[in-house]
Amino acid sequence: MPQNDTIARRRLLEGDFAPNPPAPFVELGVTSAFSFLRGASDAVDLVAAASAQGHHALGIADLNTMAGVVRLHTEARKAHIRPVIGCRLALISGEAFLAYPRDRDAYGRLCALLSKGKMRDANGGWQAKGACDIGLADLAAHAEGVELAALPGDDLAGFSARLPALIAALPGLRHVGASYRYQGDDRARIHALDRLARRRGLGILATNDVHYHAPERRPLQDVMTCILHKTTVQRAGFLLAANAERHLKSPAEMVRLFAPWPHAIAATRIVADACAFELTDLAYEYPQETVPEGSTPQRHLEALTWAGADSRYPDGIPPKVAQALHKELDLIARRKFAQYFLTVHDIIRFARGRGILCQGRGSAANSAVCFVLGITAVDPAKFDLLFERFVSEERKEPPDIDVDFEHERREEVIQYVYARYGRDRAGLCATVIHYRPRSAIREVGKAMGLSEDVTAALARTVWGSFGTDMGAGQAAEAGLDLHDPLLARTLRLAGQMIGMPRHLSQHVGGFILTDGPLTRTVPIGNGAMPERSFIEWDKDDIDELGILKVDVLALGMLTCIRKALDLIAAHHGRRYELATVPPEDPAVYDMLCEGDSVGVFQVESRAQMNMLPRLRPRAFYDLVIEVAIVRPGPIQGDMVHPYLRRRNGEEPVVYPSPGPEHDPDELRNILGRTLGVPIFQEQAMKIAIDAARFSPAEANELRKAMATFRSRGTIEALQDKMVGRMIARGYDPAFAARCFDQIKGFGEYGFPESHAASFALLVYVSAWLKRHYPAVFAAALLNSQPMGFYAPAQIVRDAREHGVEVRAADVNFSDWDSTLEPCGGGFALRLGLRQIDGLAAAAAARIMAARDAPYPDLEGLKAAARRDAGAVRRIAAADALRSMDLDRRAALWEARALKDAPDLPLFRDARDEGADPPVLLPAMPLCEHVVADYQTLRLSLKAHPMGFFRASLNRQGHVLAAAVAGARNGRSIRLAGLVLIRQRPGSAKGVCFITLEDETGVANLVVWPKVMAQFRKTVMTARLMEVTGRVQRDPSSGVVHVIATLLRDRSDALAALSDEAFRAQPAHADEAKPPIAAPRLGHPRDARIIPKSRDFH
Amino acid sequence: MGEAPADDLAVVLAIDGPHGPVIHAANRVARLAGAAEGGRIVDMRALRPDLQVHYADPGGEAALLERLVFWARRWCPWTAADGPRGLILDTTGSDHLFGGEAALLAEMEAQLSLLGFCARLALAPTRGAAWGLARHGRVRAICGAGALADSLAPLPVAALRLEAETLLLLHRLGLKRIGALAGLPRPSLSRRFVGARPEANPLIRLDQALGRLAEPLSCPGETPRLRSLARLSEPTVDPTHFLPALCRELCDRLDAAGQGCRRLRVTVFRTDGETSGVTVALAAPSRDAEHLRRLFDGKLERIDPGFGFDLIALEALAVEPLSPSQARLGGGADKTRAPAQRTDTLPALVQTGDTLSALAQTIDRLSARFGARAITRPVLQASNIPERAEAQVSALAAAPVHAARPDLDRPIRLMTAPEEIRALYALPDGPPAQFVWRRRKLQVLRHAGPERIAPEWWRDRSGARSRDYFKVEVETGQRFWIYREGLHADGRGGDPRWFLHGIFA
Repeated sequence: MPQNDTIARRRLLEGDFAPNPPAPFVELGVTSAFSFLRGASDAVDLVAAASAQGHHALGIADLNTMAGVVRLHTEARKAHIRPVIGCRLALISGEAFLAYPRDRDAYGRLCALLSKGKMRDANGGWQAKGACDIGLADLAAHAEGVELAALPGDDLAGFSARLPALIAALPGLRHVGASYRYQGDDRARIHALDRLARRRGLGILATNDVHYHAPERRPLQDVMTCILHKTTVQRAGFLLAANAERHLKSPAEMVRLFAPWPHAIAATRIVADACAFELTDLAYEYPQETVPEGSTPQRHLEALTWAGADSRYPDGIPPKVAQALHKELDLIARRKFAQYFLTVHDIIRFARGRGILCQGRGSAANSAVCFVLGITAVDPAKFDLLFERFVSEERKEPPDIDVDFEHERREEVIQYVYARYGRDRAGLCATVIHYRPRSAIREVGKAMGLSEDVTAALARTVWGSFGTDMGAGQAAEAGLDLHDPLLARTLRLAGQMIGMPRHLSQHVGGFILTDGPLTRTVPIGNGAMPERSFIEWDKDDIDELGILKVDVLALGMLTCIRKALDLIAAHHGRRYELATVPPEDPAVYDMLCEGDSVGVFQVESRAQMNMLPRLRPRAFYDLVIEVAIVRPGPIQGDMVHPYLRRRNGEEPVVYPSPGPEHDPDELRNILGRTLGVPIFQEQAMKIAIDAARFSPAEANELRKAMATFRSRGTIEALQDKMVGRMIARGYDPAFAARCFDQIKGFGEYGFPESHAASFALLVYVSAWLKRHYPAVFAAALLNSQPMGFYAPAQIVRDAREHGVEVRAADVNFSDWDSTLEPCGGGFALRLGLRQIDGLAAAAAARIMAARDAPYPDLEGLKAAARRDAGAVRRIAAADALRSMDLDRRAALWEARALKDAPDLPLFRDARDEGADPPVLLPAMPLCEHVVADYQTLRLSLKAHPMGFFRASLNRQGHVLAAAVAGARNGRSIRLAGLVLIRQRPGSAKGVCFITLEDETGVANLVVWPKVMAQFRKTVMTARLMEVTGRVQRDPSSGVVHVIATLLRDRSDALAALSDEAFRAQPAHADEAKPPIAAPRLGHPRDARIIPKSRDFH
Repeated sequence: MGEAPADDLAVVLAIDGPHGPVIHAANRVARLAGAAEGGRIVDMRALRPDLQVHYADPGGEAALLERLVFWARRWCPWTAADGPRGLILDTTGSDHLFGGEAALLAEMEAQLSLLGFCARLALAPTRGAAWGLARHGRVRAICGAGALADSLAPLPVAALRLEAETLLLLHRLGLKRIGALAGLPRPSLSRRFVGARPEANPLIRLDQALGRLAEPLSCPGETPRLRSLARLSEPTVDPTHFLPALCRELCDRLDAAGQGCRRLRVTVFRTDGETSGVTVALAAPSRDAEHLRRLFDGKLERIDPGFGFDLIALEALAVEPLSPSQARLGGGADKTRAPAQRTDTLPALVQTGDTLSALAQTIDRLSARFGARAITRPVLQASNIPERAEAQVSALAAAPVHAARPDLDRPIRLMTAPEEIRALYALPDGPPAQFVWRRRKLQVLRHAGPERIAPEWWRDRSGARSRDYFKVEVETGQRFWIYREGLHADGRGGDPRWFLHGIFA
């Protein structure tokens, strides 16, 4: 999951600040870290420094961007400092200005100006990501109401020559920025600027050109400059400033420096006071399209809600639901969120109309209103869910509905949103990519002139330790001497770099929509992808300003379910929807209890598969728990085992209670449904509020502290607070500590109940499909690839194990997609041409379109494929011509003879080489067929590769994977198989899990760290593995593992199957967690993927 | 080649791939640990955390192979590089000089191993067959013309210099040995691979290997050595008199080749079989015979003549292109002059007219007389610290040129070591009012500044203090550049100290 990257590692200002009295000087030339690689301090540091120095207001002027203004706004408010919002404009002609809008309209014009520069280049073409072209004419057209101060560069003469033209073009230009640069000529220079300005009727404005909050940040700023210019500090020379004076200086200091020019100081106050614009003025207006003429949003929403309720409950609305609807509508009216619900409803209605499957989730999504509006399919009448997250009025945050769409068709929805609201009114959120320990070390190390070897070693020491300090111990482990001043300095600077914004990226799907032009609210820039544009603010910024956003996300399982439902309608004549799939089918739960969940949403990973037989889900709510329990939060909080024990009746269900003077049942309401064990994020938070008596504000702080980048100290303080208060109120200290550990675990991978409920529905529906329509389900899974955890080979294998006849892809029978063919009483699965590697969909479509009758020979096929001999050869290589009586070898031989010549009489059938003499090629052995199948189709229906070794394996005393399940506990066995998956989950303390597959089934290996250290290479690279180990059976669930003691890499045997390299495709990634102090293979997501096979990804 | 790494270390050479560095080559230990060409370094590091990674030098490798091509001319006149890692030698008619084909191969392997190379060798009538036998055949395989087809038949089709995709196809067709391929009817093969490039066309490769298709060897010519020789009828002990003629002859050759020389060596071949010599270097390329000769003035004594020598060689060891430039309005090239493009070796002020070559020649002569290290010239360095803004490099060396910052006003004379002074100034960071320098009390009449220069934190020790430079004019009219080291309360030592660092004109 990309969660890691999207979580803003945001530092927040803490502590109490006293307001400062108005100072004579306001710094307006502040470059924050959002001028990427230019400013070396973020809003928190700047504001803290400003507050300490006695500033009462602080301007922000990042280079051609407003990306950092919300953060400065937020932090400044906390410190009782007035934020002055503006930016620094650099024109393509070289001039630079400080630009501060006086009012909302001027701000809008400035945003529009930046948007123009970011969306269109100087010639009107599509602008490259990250660039901003503004010309003087553009600025002049948008400068009304904007306070401009021209910034002279080093070249005063040139500036003086250009100034008249600037003044003529920009009536709003009133000031010339002047800085005391400590370059020896400051007095003369400022005097000259002063004279120049006076001559032109302008005044000078004092600014210190702030690049960092304190002089100690100069090294970091120098390093950033080196990264920006791709050089090293040793070579950077004059790119680096000579001194550390560009830091925030106190008003008194500035007054002293500018003593000869008091008017320059006064000018800053004049400008700052004139710019009354505040970000809170961005009164947010929702689009009005969704409301019909003559109605109000609230009235319209209510009408839709009750109409929806009537259709959801044709037999009458249950009183419980009616009551919930009233309560929610009332709350929506009070918080004025009706427009938001209508907008989400509008998008969903579009998707439904197109037949695009979608489902909402998120805090607001599991409300009764969302159910009756069709946003979700989790029926509040049947499932008693927590709505506190939505209902809480204390949290001044907008509701949050994420809507998942089919991953193949989400683009349609996005384009609909653009089309309906227009590109100037709809925009995607940004995601701020921050420096993380690895990237920080790598780039800082490079700028410091360290070699790739050393930076890699340094980066390795911080593997996974996000947010923790890079300790000397870790470095020593990597063989680095931290007493070396260069290394020590590099680590110190990298530490400062962590958490700095690095660049803006596009959010996965967060849309914000406005009534007026969006470009007047926030600058919009182009994404790296064509036809994508996104705003400069991220999710947190939008939340901060109370702007609502709709998440339009992609989910592969929805594609699969929709395809499966379509197939059922086509072949079985029954039409189901997400909400109408028969609920609570015991057969489905029986299947899940056995851990038979290949392909089922969310519960197909090995950890989930092991959990299923232990948890034994029997009802929908069990699935909700199942989804949430195999997560770092509950695991870190050690909540899993207590829950299982209670569920199995091995332990009494007791509710932790406070001392006798308090209500003994205060946690019963919170933990009732989870047998007294906190499992969901909401529960943990609620415990903080009820049991530790956290105020809503404190709870909010706790939640944010966990989700954001915070110092260790803050978390410890919160821990002391929460655990201490719980103990003081008489709770068991161990329970209190576990609760806090759990909240810590939630921090990064939190899974609230509302999300779990929406996901659980997809778990149920996909399990139901698998149970009742295995052929349909397998076909839909194959047709939705790439998605999920398993490769086509495992999906097909699982389908065959469930009695589905799977037929090979064939050019005369297959469509592009996998299809169902009548077979006896039921249906067989016919693999689609899409399984053939390298075959283009367009070529397949032509072949299918021209296929009125079966193709008798290759010539006909080639004609249909529009003489695309390459496609025919690919089909031949995939052995998909058997219906022409051509096996792979013969087909390849014949296909090779086809000519890629134009269809002209001269070339037609002209066999200038004479008749093709018959050639007798040796028959292809089965093992080579299988290898070629894996190479071209990634699966083989003919045989399993392990089958060829079986006789030899038997003689060596290897057992079959299927026999492992029946083996006696503790028995020592040997077995061999293809490596399907290797995993090192972060919560497993270095234990590695390997899944082996042979022709009879799969076996699960557990490799303890000690064995892992011994057989490291085998564990990480073997594709065929031989293992000796002990059988370990969990008595309660019957789950069987093999504890490996000896591993051998036998990939060489695979090579012997054919002379070529064998490339089995391993399963997709599971929810891999990076925090293992171990080397990895590429991206953490691929950590257990066979390196050789990465070519498939 | 450098030093070979220890045998028990896993060492790989890396080149940059699209997703980070990839393995270019690996030693035996690394290969056993799983390193394969094209694999990613990060993957390999995961397997072997102690992996040593060095960056490969493909340019250097190519240059080395090229040298090896000429080195191999010792066995036959026609040698060429074959791909990035192979040599192809046409030994036709030369094997008997080395005692036959088998002896030739053994000799080659021995000589190559003396150079530190492992080699696989094969000898065959065609280039294609030799390629395949060297890589897939027996050790030091030798194949006669009559046995060509039979020797090739058992080899895998990979021995045919085919690309991977074609090899995969041949494997799937069951054609795994050259023999199987050769047994197919030609029309069938030709029909199936018509129009394909040679590396994708088994038929062409087969024909080339079997000698049905000619594949001539194109050999690079060697760059001519620029040297002149004087053969003496009688041994002598003093080469001085022969030098002018040798220089003239060499300069004529340089002129013909459009080159000027930067390094020059005189070697004498003594009658007792020993050689002795002396080398000189030049600041700018030149082919002025008189100039070259004078560089040896006083140096020839260093040659140990022994009992006399009978052969003197003057050789240009390093040459650079030197195109003639028109020097006079009336036409005529002045071949002694260095062209303008060589300005990076000389300061900008002397670029005009004849001074350029005159200066270069002076530098050459001085360097030849006093040693290359004795004659230096200052170059600008990109540093804000005044004493680091200038460095001395050998006058003969080419140095990177940094531009000075034009906006900085620097004194014409900078003290080698700043001289401490005592100054009166307003606290905390006011300008100096008066100071004592060399026991003279000087009143400051005017000042400009401060210019604050902070230490270069990445190279200075941590206690280094920043400096505030002032330009001051004293009552005598002299102007000085003085600085205050440190500030009050900068936490880096006691009170600031004052220094005089430079004098303005």
